[in-house]
Amino acid sequence: MAALWGRSLSCGGWFPPHQIVRHGSKAVTRHRKPMHFLRQKLLAVTEYIPPKPAIPERCIKAPKKEVQEPFGFEKLLRREVEVTFNENKMITVFQNNSIKSEDLKLLRHRLLKHDIRMKFFPNQILRSYLGNTKYRNLLPLFIGHNIIIVSKEPKAKELLQTVRNTTQISLLGACIEDVLFSRQGVVNYSRLPGMQVVRGEIVSGLTLMTSQTCQLLQSGPVHLAALLEQYLKQQSEAATGLKGPESLEQKEIQGSPAS
Amino acid sequence: MAILLRRLGLARLGIDTNSGCTGLYQIDAKVLPAGLKTYEIPPRYDDVIIPEKPKLKFLNKVPNYKKPRRWMKRLGDIRGPAIRANTLTRGEYGIVALGGGYLHWGHFEMMRLTINRKMDPKTMFARWRVNAPYKPITRKGLGQRMGGGKGAIDHYVTPVKYGRVIVEFGGRCAFEEVEPFLSEVAKKLPFPAKAISKKTLEEMLKEDEQKARNNQNPWTFERIATMNMMGIRKVLSPFDLKYHGKFFGKSRVPNRV
Repeated sequence: MAALWGRSLSCGGWFPPHQIVRHGSKAVTRHRKPMHFLRQKLLAVTEYIPPKPAIPERCIKAPKKEVQEPFGFEKLLRREVEVTFNENKMITVFQNNSIKSEDLKLLRHRLLKHDIRMKFFPNQILRSYLGNTKYRNLLPLFIGHNIIIVSKEPKAKELLQTVRNTTQISLLGACIEDVLFSRQGVVNYSRLPGMQVVRGEIVSGLTLMTSQTCQLLQSGPVHLAALLEQYLKQQSEAATGLKGPESLEQKEIQGSPAS
Repeated sequence: MAILLRRLGLARLGIDTNSGCTGLYQIDAKVLPAGLKTYEIPPRYDDVIIPEKPKLKFLNKVPNYKKPRRWMKRLGDIRGPAIRANTLTRGEYGIVALGGGYLHWGHFEMMRLTINRKMDPKTMFARWRVNAPYKPITRKGLGQRMGGGKGAIDHYVTPVKYGRVIVEFGGRCAFEEVEPFLSEVAKKLPFPAKAISKKTLEEMLKEDEQKARNNQNPWTFERIATMNMMGIRKVLSPFDLKYHGKFFGKSRVPNRV
């Protein structure tokens, strides 16, 4: 290979000692040009080495639990749930065993006559919302398909009567005026008489003893008065001479078991 | 999203109906799923203006030279990375060259016809980012011996370097809609190319930067070449000093840091 010896220039530069004069193809070729072996070696030596920490990142880094912010619809539904639970005094949970939509419509209509509403909410939202409120004991009810039937007035009797004929939905539990009821509890609640009657009963129950005191106090003198009256009667009869001493004894016998 | 659900017929606006639902958006679907499906808000293309002539324009085979002169080969116009048009300016998507090469009129026609056929002119638009062929390529006649001067101009080409955007694409469309036919076109080009969006291009550049930063190898091409270690400059050219072994000929050497 022809080569030129290295020589220095007048301006202070220099040529490398070996300059290659003849070579094969140009730098840019159509075919894949074979690289000089030294260049291949250089590329092999200067390859990219990725960082490799002693403990891989995936062992240390905790998997990111993406805390998803509640989307708009979710927020809306949450508000709905909140409103429902605050406004309505009676909240019942029914298990929905695939009721037909026409039957559901009829049931809804019948319930609306008593101003009782039916609500459908996704369980996910209900659980996430109710877990933090005072209704957390209702959580086990919200698994699977369910319907929430609510009303502002606690009309358990009307509800049970309306729902009695629909076999596809069954009562799971209820929360009436912040008191949890099971199925039997609701039935009993419905059998309770109205408020006025109950109040009257309580009042009478409380005043039972006091009402009796008067009678008790008066019983002694009343009995004595009755006995004395009888005795007077006997005396008057004896005075008339119609009845003998047997009748007096009879009266006495009558009198003693009575006292 | 609530409007979306109303359109789907799943939720009803409580105000309109008389069946006495107290909530504004009462769910009427009798079978509610376990989770709540959240719908991603689709992207809005309000700021995208579709120009009057959305399709790719016809490019001439031969430029309008008064006196067509023969040019030198100048193969350096293919070597190395592109500096001129390597970012997406007007559209969101495009085809980028991943190697150097020449585009001739046949390639242009192929691109123009395919893209104009596959795109929807009402919602999309496309723009050329390379010039019409301007570089004359000479050919000697068949069976000619060496010598006798330079050949006559046969055809014209456009040189393309690595990283140059060929076609830009934009409009009210997602990358997934556009990618099939853009990659179809990219496969037929004489150099390696691919369909990109602004995001993918950014990612590519970021990855390169990251690699350069994370490299654990103390020996880099740049270091060895500039210091002329082991007299390696015998086999390297000043081009390699500038581009640190990333380019060899018209191609880009992959996985070079």
